[in-house]
Amino acid sequence: MAKYLKNDDLGQWLAELGTEYKIHAPVQEGRSIAFRPLTQDKILRIDRHATIGPKEILFPACEELMHFSYEKDTDNPGREKIRVQPADNAVPTLIFGSRPCDARGFDVFDGAFTQCAVKDNYYAARREQAVVVSIACTRTENTCFCNWVGGSPDGTNGSDVLLTPIQDGFVVQPVTEKGETLLQKGSLLTGAAPDQVREAEQLRAAACASLPEAPDFKCMPEQLYNLFDNMDFWEKQSAKCISCGACTYLCPTCHCFNITDERNGNEGERLRSWDNCMSRQFTQEASGHNPRPEKAYRLKNRVGHKFCYFPDLHEGHIACVGCGRCIKSCPVSLDIRQVVTSAKECHLPAEETDNE
Amino acid sequence: MMLDQLKETIKTALPELDFVMGWTTGYDPLHATPLYMYEPDDVDQLIWGPLNVHNLAVHLPALRHKKVGIVVKGCDSRSVVELLQENLIDRENVVIFGAPCNGVVDMTKIRKAVPDAHFARSVETADNSLTITTDKDTHTLSLAEVMADKCTRCRFPNAVEADHFVGEKRIPAVETDPYADLESFESQGFAERRDFWMAEMDRCIRCYACRNACPLCVCRDHCVAQSREPHWVSQRDGVRDKFMFQVIHAIHMAGRCTECGECERACPMDIPVLLLKRKLGNVIHDLFDYDAGLDAEARPPLLAFKLEEDSIKEKDW
Amino acid sequence: MPVLNGRELRIVGFLCNWCSYGGADTAGVARFDQPTDLRIIRVPCSGRIDPLFIAKAFMNGADGVLVSGCHPRDCHYSEGNYYARRRLEVFKQFITVLGIEPERFEYTWVSASEGQRWQEVVTKFTDQVHALGPMAPIPEVALSKLAQTEGTDLRTAITEEA
Repeated sequence: MAKYLKNDDLGQWLAELGTEYKIHAPVQEGRSIAFRPLTQDKILRIDRHATIGPKEILFPACEELMHFSYEKDTDNPGREKIRVQPADNAVPTLIFGSRPCDARGFDVFDGAFTQCAVKDNYYAARREQAVVVSIACTRTENTCFCNWVGGSPDGTNGSDVLLTPIQDGFVVQPVTEKGETLLQKGSLLTGAAPDQVREAEQLRAAACASLPEAPDFKCMPEQLYNLFDNMDFWEKQSAKCISCGACTYLCPTCHCFNITDERNGNEGERLRSWDNCMSRQFTQEASGHNPRPEKAYRLKNRVGHKFCYFPDLHEGHIACVGCGRCIKSCPVSLDIRQVVTSAKECHLPAEETDNE
Repeated sequence: MMLDQLKETIKTALPELDFVMGWTTGYDPLHATPLYMYEPDDVDQLIWGPLNVHNLAVHLPALRHKKVGIVVKGCDSRSVVELLQENLIDRENVVIFGAPCNGVVDMTKIRKAVPDAHFARSVETADNSLTITTDKDTHTLSLAEVMADKCTRCRFPNAVEADHFVGEKRIPAVETDPYADLESFESQGFAERRDFWMAEMDRCIRCYACRNACPLCVCRDHCVAQSREPHWVSQRDGVRDKFMFQVIHAIHMAGRCTECGECERACPMDIPVLLLKRKLGNVIHDLFDYDAGLDAEARPPLLAFKLEEDSIKEKDW
Repeated sequence: MPVLNGRELRIVGFLCNWCSYGGADTAGVARFDQPTDLRIIRVPCSGRIDPLFIAKAFMNGADGVLVSGCHPRDCHYSEGNYYARRRLEVFKQFITVLGIEPERFEYTWVSASEGQRWQEVVTKFTDQVHALGPMAPIPEVALSKLAQTEGTDLRTAITEEA
């Protein structure tokens, strides 16, 4: 059943939930908006899209996988013992204020990390303990294209609860069982009146209607395979790219990582940190060979992974949620929508493209 | 008018070149994006104005084996000169198209003045103003209000080096104290300054956009920040390593940085990293009376010395 | 000299092999009293000092850094210290913007025979750093992730900016 929460009660509601969960929410930080543990000195910003999404709450930019230390073996002085302590830091977490696109990003993570033959226990533990409370978008930015990739401004995939902002408050709807349980707690939610639910529906429908018409991307995997060797196409598409990692690090679905040992004397940690396929080192091999030596190969991989290789492995699901951060925060305003549509419209094999 | 002339000049030169880099309208009316002009038809998409924020010189070193043209603002031309000075590009392989620049916008300032900037439906630019129409309303901003700081103190609005210069040269605005921002920052105590950087660096996501957008960060794929041996920075996401990287970036720019501000503009998290480079620029200007990117034949101050330094006062123990 | 008030600071010294390291050795051989805060790292020449060595020392918790090389005109490699002088002076003036007091860093010239001068330089520099006290450590962790929500009143957090 839909519930209603007054704007004025939002803080109190979160405060009540804060006794059970660690709450992460979008807050103002300097000139940006980022998801941070919510404390009273922070300014909550749910009025617009966060600069960086909630990805790092479940998939930290850098996490300790284990701590290790070397010790002298007293029985055998010629040998050293290694003591290893695995890290385990999953706590009940509430992600508040994500957008439907952000939440859908977790669906992609689930596909890669929990629904595969090898399960990622670190991610799975955090995902298990997390409740995602999303806010439906009632207005769409120029960079929004969630409807192109199977989402919508009021999509519920990946969320446990969906809030729709209406006049003076929110219509609160559970999506999953986890969400149902969450909404049973707390004294501040009241039943939503039918006209409130209607208002929410109208606002959501208007947001959906405001997005440009979605092209059909079903043909993309095949089309991108066809373009695989057309380096002329990829060189032109990537010409302005500066090979930084802004797009991948801000992307709600990018999940590549690197594992390194940071050792200081006899102590150290094994760290897992975000990696970036736009960087040359990403595929640098120990032999010196690099299968993706230039940015054209790397952009091809990024677009290919999202619209071709990932869908091929995961029942056609595109690994892009259309949040638009890679466009909005790109230093050169490289537009992935334009790359994909160009790829779609590029019907010519490599030789003929040259004469175009 | 000036733009038409510029387009004609580029079209005339294009047959001799692989391509010419300029700007065109990007994903929305408020954002320009780099334009690669291969064919005369591409030239028609060229735009000139306050939205052309990118410094295209960043691409030149990687294009050394090609013969390319580049359209520059005054500040961009200084990066080209610095690259020439450091022998990272060849003069005969670059054709520079210059035009007088009236300043470019700072998107951060625009977002502050018009929080709805990401809903822009149309943008109109006049000589001294910018009108943004969003899905809800219309805002007219004076250019001075949203201009990048580097433009308000610009001394070189016309390209310092160009093969083709189109339009009437602009006289730079009267210079006030160009380092007033730095003075005001340094009027704070040391602890406050350190706290400021701790807070700002904390949200760095280590995407290295600052580095990759920098036309003079020429190590690119061999940056010490990503080297395990030597191990200058670790993979930890703490403030210390992020701060250390900014110090590395700044120091590697000493005597080379032209303060084009691309590092700060590129930062997706809006961290004011240019200030560190401006400090070095200020120190080097005061010590050696030198500004980077003005003379391709000049000797960089840190690659030279005097037996008796007139401006260095050593500590008297 | 005993540890100053039982409170030793961490000072890193980069000394050139040919002059200052010898100077420090001379001071030791002559048994001149010196403060014990300084940890010496021997380098081939003051010209070898990348300013990043000093920056890294500060990041990792040094309270002061001292660079010492041959006197101008005396460099074993003829010109190393001339280049060093420009670089180190620029760095000394630069660190103020980072929030590091310029007095925490000095560079100087001490020859291999100047044991007495070495003692004086170390003593004065150590006093200078002690006058400033320890430097606040630069955290290795992400500050924003330290924040806790438990038990805090969140009502005041909900003040949306227009």
